[in-house]
Amino acid sequence: MSVPGAPTAKEKKYDRQLRLWGAGGQEALETAHILLVNATAAGTETLKNLVLPGAGRFTIIDDAVVTDEDLGTNFFLDDSSIGLSRAQKTCELLCELNPDVKGDYINDSIENVIKSTPEKLKEFTIVLATGDIVTSTLLSLDSILYPLDTPIFVLKCVGFAVTCRLALSEHTIVETHPASTVDLRLLNPFPELLALAEEKAGSMNDKSKMNTHDHGHIPYVLILLRALDDWKSTHDDNVPSNYSQKNQFKSFVRSKMWDADEENFEEAIAAVLPHFNSPSIPSGTKAVFEDEKTKSLTSSSTNFWIVARAIKDFAEKNNGLLPLPGALPDMKAESKDYIQLQNVYKSKARADLAAVVEIAKSLLSELGKPADSISEPEIETFCKHAGYIKLIRGRSLKQEYEDSPNAKKISNEISEPTSLIHYYLGLRAYESFISEESNTKRVAPGVEDSSVESDAEKMDKYVTEILDKLSITHSPELLEGTSKAIREIVRVGGGELHNISSLAGGIVSQEIIKVITKQYIPMSNTVVFDGISSRTEVYEL
Amino acid sequence: MATTTVLTTESPDRWKYLNNILTRSGPYTDEAFTPGDFPKQFLADAKILVIGAGGLGCEILKNLALSGFKDIHVIDMDTIDISNLNRQFLFREADVGKSKAEVAAAFVMKRVRGVKITPFNCAIQDKDDDYYRQFKIVVCGLDSVEARRWINATLVNLVDDETLIPLIDGGTEGFKGQARVMIPTISCCYECTLDMLTPRAAVPLCTLASIPRQPAHCIEWASVIQWPKEKGDLKLDTDDPEHISWLYTQALGRAKEFNIPGVTYAMTQGVVKNIIPAIASTNAIIAASCCNEALKLATTAAPYLDNYMMYTGDESIYTYTFQHEKKEECPVCGNLPQNLTVDPESTLEQLMEKLQERPETTLKKPSFRTSSKSLYLQAPKQLEEQTRPNLEKKCKELMEEGDELSISDPGMPFNLRFIISFS
Ligand SMILES: [Zn+2]
Repeated sequence: MSVPGAPTAKEKKYDRQLRLWGAGGQEALETAHILLVNATAAGTETLKNLVLPGAGRFTIIDDAVVTDEDLGTNFFLDDSSIGLSRAQKTCELLCELNPDVKGDYINDSIENVIKSTPEKLKEFTIVLATGDIVTSTLLSLDSILYPLDTPIFVLKCVGFAVTCRLALSEHTIVETHPASTVDLRLLNPFPELLALAEEKAGSMNDKSKMNTHDHGHIPYVLILLRALDDWKSTHDDNVPSNYSQKNQFKSFVRSKMWDADEENFEEAIAAVLPHFNSPSIPSGTKAVFEDEKTKSLTSSSTNFWIVARAIKDFAEKNNGLLPLPGALPDMKAESKDYIQLQNVYKSKARADLAAVVEIAKSLLSELGKPADSISEPEIETFCKHAGYIKLIRGRSLKQEYEDSPNAKKISNEISEPTSLIHYYLGLRAYESFISEESNTKRVAPGVEDSSVESDAEKMDKYVTEILDKLSITHSPELLEGTSKAIREIVRVGGGELHNISSLAGGIVSQEIIKVITKQYIPMSNTVVFDGISSRTEVYEL
Repeated sequence: MATTTVLTTESPDRWKYLNNILTRSGPYTDEAFTPGDFPKQFLADAKILVIGAGGLGCEILKNLALSGFKDIHVIDMDTIDISNLNRQFLFREADVGKSKAEVAAAFVMKRVRGVKITPFNCAIQDKDDDYYRQFKIVVCGLDSVEARRWINATLVNLVDDETLIPLIDGGTEGFKGQARVMIPTISCCYECTLDMLTPRAAVPLCTLASIPRQPAHCIEWASVIQWPKEKGDLKLDTDDPEHISWLYTQALGRAKEFNIPGVTYAMTQGVVKNIIPAIASTNAIIAASCCNEALKLATTAAPYLDNYMMYTGDESIYTYTFQHEKKEECPVCGNLPQNLTVDPESTLEQLMEKLQERPETTLKKPSFRTSSKSLYLQAPKQLEEQTRPNLEKKCKELMEEGDELSISDPGMPFNLRFIISFS
């Protein structure tokens, strides 16, 4: 088949996902190397969802030997795996899913790897820690990876309860995938747009100069610009600014219809409220502009910060306007008029882009970098999304556990019986339980029928210790929700339920894809899922 | 219990954690829950049906097998395509062209010992009421609104003193999805919520024919106008790459003529096949949520979802869990007819076209009756010919205000009922 533009074999296989993150996202995914610590059901389910779309490589670190219990929860093991290395067997069965992906394993504990070959951890793009890991090990991982900007996910799944914590030191996103990037510039039109409005809609009020067909096909953007001109002449040159004026303006536009079923005028009226906004730089973009990294570029600044600075400088010279994205929604119009209007917006977007490219070049030369070290398509993507970019500065595990816990968030939530913060506290207590020094075999709470209640009481105590450390006042009444969460966690005896782990693997793999592709917006920074009420909540902890 | 599955064929450790939630009560379990062998045995004996063996279906089969269900049926009439492999993890390249239901069933049975999965490579409409009556729960992982409406209506119609089969339904699009539990006649049904679907905005034919502006207009022109014109009776097969290529070339020519940029092969395929982006992660979330509910329903180990969970993952994570209300005027599970405002001057044919545009009445070959007469019948042929002249008549000649209009369609196992009022 020699049809131009026909998809390659790879494009066919990945068609349904390329429609979400494009070739750029796919390339990021294919060059990623993901580390899974412990091949739990939740861990392998997460990897399944990353191997299938073609993540480049994964490595599993796990010293466990496959048991019968594993087979009841983990799909990537079978009867023949029992007694063998869990890292190896899950790695083998995961690799079967996609020949494009390379899988590795290390049949050793994460503690030993940290102790003997910590440099090994620097190879990974992203790290996912699952299963029963003691607090000190989590903090060691954090201390190695967080300073390297390597994102760490800590996923806990016990029974119906799930928490996932993302420690992400700095994350910048250009392609946030907003619903729309349309900016029609109706309240601050550029000259070419005004000229076109005059040409196509100048005779809009004059039946002797325009026929009904043409009147019914004026693109609504031009109708609005023309009507605005008329409005301004009777309103001291002011545009409609508040809600009631905008509504008056809508009636004004309606009065210019020649026929009750002119769709283009209906479109114009509907566009007044969404598109009559005075220009301002959105908060996400402002946060980037005001960041120290934008203000003081250095030779080690990444492309994101250099382009952000170029756009900031551009906006300062351009009455606070960001570069025009250039998108135009569909509207009732003759083909040629619509294309002409589209070209006016596109030309303006190209001119803005060229100006930003020039600024970027001079910034690069000031920094001693080659002028072409940032490609024009990269700058173009940035310009199109300039109003939608996002900066996330996350928090390390050490900050959450020791340096600056978000006690306020927890104390605000704790009195709410249906808050999911109770599961967060319950799983923190679970971690304390298995991390207890006297618990040398890392036995989980509720393993024995006879110890269910006494283990739950120990967990209650761990929660009060955590709260005391945060200086959060508490009482048994206040902790009723937490106490229930703890009993639900102890009930399952420290294991996973396949559905819940699979669901958690779905959530975490979505987040990992967002972080790796630098597209869409990941959660900040802890998501809790409760499989009983089927709810999630995100907390910044 | 006629067939009792023996539970002792495998190590007692295998289902240790699952057993823990079945043998121990939790703080949220219903008081009626009797921990111990009863829920375990019920789970092992319960027949469960999975509809669809695609992205959601593969996940659902795996999850049910690892939830302790032992007797699973799966129905899917599709065969495996290369573009399925990025998420339908039970299939390999060598399986392309084979039956989804059969390959999926064989794979899960091989991996999870002790589960029996019976595949059917057919349409759900090929099975009768007796077939569906044998199941305790039906889990649906489909991308077709029509099939969902059919199974929903079938399960509602089956309700009697002995039969009440919950329908669990999942759906995904990109990073978003929803899972829901429907207890026929008790909670809202699929039909009750049809108005939540956003109808696909139809482009007016005159735009396609004379004033295209978007690449999609050129593509739709190629498939809606050019294909029938040039290819006559040859049916367009959107899975045939040569057909897509032909449309792509046509659309490209059209776009060039009108200076419209942006027509690509992938877009052509997307528009004509109405492709919805799909990834493994979202399927995993939704399928697991459905199966978690199936496990809770079958064992009562925890309260089930009442009745709708929406998941959104493209901007942080947001879940909306709520109770969707049952609709009194639901044509499937409600008791009241809906109101319909009709222009008395419009013809019956125009009314038919108008109804076809509404999402809740996606009719194919509708027949129209009032309580006193048949207005238009699609079959048999003789009656069709007899009633055909009515299509040209004005509504005011055929019906009166307050009349009940009943519409049947071969795609729907129920009638839509409307009370007429004139505009
Ligand atoms: Zn209903």
